[in-house]
Amino acid sequence: MKRLWSSAIERISVEKLWILFTVGPVIALLLAIGFIPMGYAIWLSFHSKDPFMPTVDFVGLKNYITLFTNPKFLASLGRSLQYTIVSVVFQTLMGLGIALLFVRPFRGKLFARTVVFLPYLIPTAVVGLMFSWLLSTQYGVVNQLLRQLGLIRFPITFFDGLKSAMYSVIMAGSWKFGMFCTLMFIARLQAIPKNLYETAQISGAGAFQCFRDITLPHLKSTLLLIVLLRGIWMFNKFDMIWILTKGGPLRVTETLAIFSYRIAFEERSFGLAAAASVVILVILVIFATSYFWYFKPSKEVEVE
Amino acid sequence: MTRRRLQTIVIYVGIIFVVLVMGFPLYWMVKTSVEPPTTLFSPPYSYIPTTFSGENYRLLLFETYFPTFLKNSVIVAFFCTLISAVVSVLAGYGLTRFEFPGKKLIARGTLFSYMFPPLMLGIPLYIIFDSLGLRNTYVGLVLAHASIGIPLGTWIMWQYFQIVPKSLEEAAWVSGASRMRTLREVVLPIATPGIITVSTFAFAFSWNDYTYAKIFQDDITMFTVTTGINSFVERTAVHWGLIQAGATLITIPTLIIIVFLQRQLLESMAVGGLK
Repeated sequence: MKRLWSSAIERISVEKLWILFTVGPVIALLLAIGFIPMGYAIWLSFHSKDPFMPTVDFVGLKNYITLFTNPKFLASLGRSLQYTIVSVVFQTLMGLGIALLFVRPFRGKLFARTVVFLPYLIPTAVVGLMFSWLLSTQYGVVNQLLRQLGLIRFPITFFDGLKSAMYSVIMAGSWKFGMFCTLMFIARLQAIPKNLYETAQISGAGAFQCFRDITLPHLKSTLLLIVLLRGIWMFNKFDMIWILTKGGPLRVTETLAIFSYRIAFEERSFGLAAAASVVILVILVIFATSYFWYFKPSKEVEVE
Repeated sequence: MTRRRLQTIVIYVGIIFVVLVMGFPLYWMVKTSVEPPTTLFSPPYSYIPTTFSGENYRLLLFETYFPTFLKNSVIVAFFCTLISAVVSVLAGYGLTRFEFPGKKLIARGTLFSYMFPPLMLGIPLYIIFDSLGLRNTYVGLVLAHASIGIPLGTWIMWQYFQIVPKSLEEAAWVSGASRMRTLREVVLPIATPGIITVSTFAFAFSWNDYTYAKIFQDDITMFTVTTGINSFVERTAVHWGLIQAGATLITIPTLIIIVFLQRQLLESMAVGGLK
């Protein structure tokens, strides 16, 4: 009896040690480089921390009031929404279209798929610089091509035009990020049982009917997830826009992310910048929560 | 039958169009990089390279900090991959094999960290790193990159270990193997595809990152490849030849990953990971 007990105690503590050994590191690191800095950012957003002031003073909601009475902040919020919504819609449609084209076997599949997958894994900085060069007003080959084809008479000011800059940034980003959608859709499309299509064809269904009644329902969960993830990531997007336009010309591509970066690292008002980033997070949390509540994609994301 | 053929033709035309649109920017990058720098600012350009020159690459490798950028990126990406893989594999194993309170909390925590605006982490981490002297160091950047690699990796491994049957391990225990040995000799080999996926994502994330490298490193000898090639954009001149050559070199690891791991990545995206 005694021995049984001691072995039980031993087992429990050994198991506890294992739990500590396996799950301890992830918890420690997530706290240290995730949640503690986040908490610090929230704390900071209620304080003033400026470049030439050594003290950090509690200022209550002052930072938030400063933000919401600043028209530049409100405008950047609007641009973030515009950037996110247009990007997500465009990327999802483009991703779905390409996935449907590429899912069936065809000659040269490996080559074609590599060309299409490459953009998603290429560094955003590279993509940005590549498009600055391609779409340059003066030296861009796209302008050259369009002129040679007789489609335009004067070069398009892709990133320098007040009207075109936002859409050019979105298009350049979609070249890369749309491929995330393609990858996700292809992965899901491949998992649809083939016999469903065979049965449908035997009973006389056409291509469109097959798409509507078999493909689309199977893609629904992936679609919901893509819109959620891409929505979050595009709303946070900083590097692509910064490299292409730095928020210009005349702030027309200055989204919330660019706005907060400017305040933090150019004006060095860390308290104010922290408040702006808290606003970003709050918007995302509200979006994600209501999204989960409304669409319930939880089946896809639930653990176990 | 003709309708079927027409359908095939439409699909092929579509594929060719997509490959052209997706491939052209890459082609143009490589093409620009292998031409003599003198052709850069003299449009109209020919669509097929006419003269070849290694001048851009020579300048890049011998006259700029690019080799240093490359070294920095390799070091940071390597350690980010290592830390993310080890921590995620352990976490995935622990979370699927042991019962303890707070699992749901950890799941929510990992998912929640998907949403962190990079800048929201960047601002406090900048202040923290600044006071700890971790700016312009490898440690700081590796930690910042791991803040993305670890949650994603943990999530993937968590899903992955759920489909690794426990019965295999139990069989090993019965035959007298210790838990550690079972982990090493039974569990890890089965989990290899998951580990490859996690490592690939962690590597790709670190290699691709621009935001954190831009925020934390302002000493040019600590730049990574991404902030490095962006430093060739100067107020007075944009060195397009250097940029395109650097961009081409940076893309090579990515190309290798895709050619070798295409199927594996697709599968793990379907099974677990980003489900």
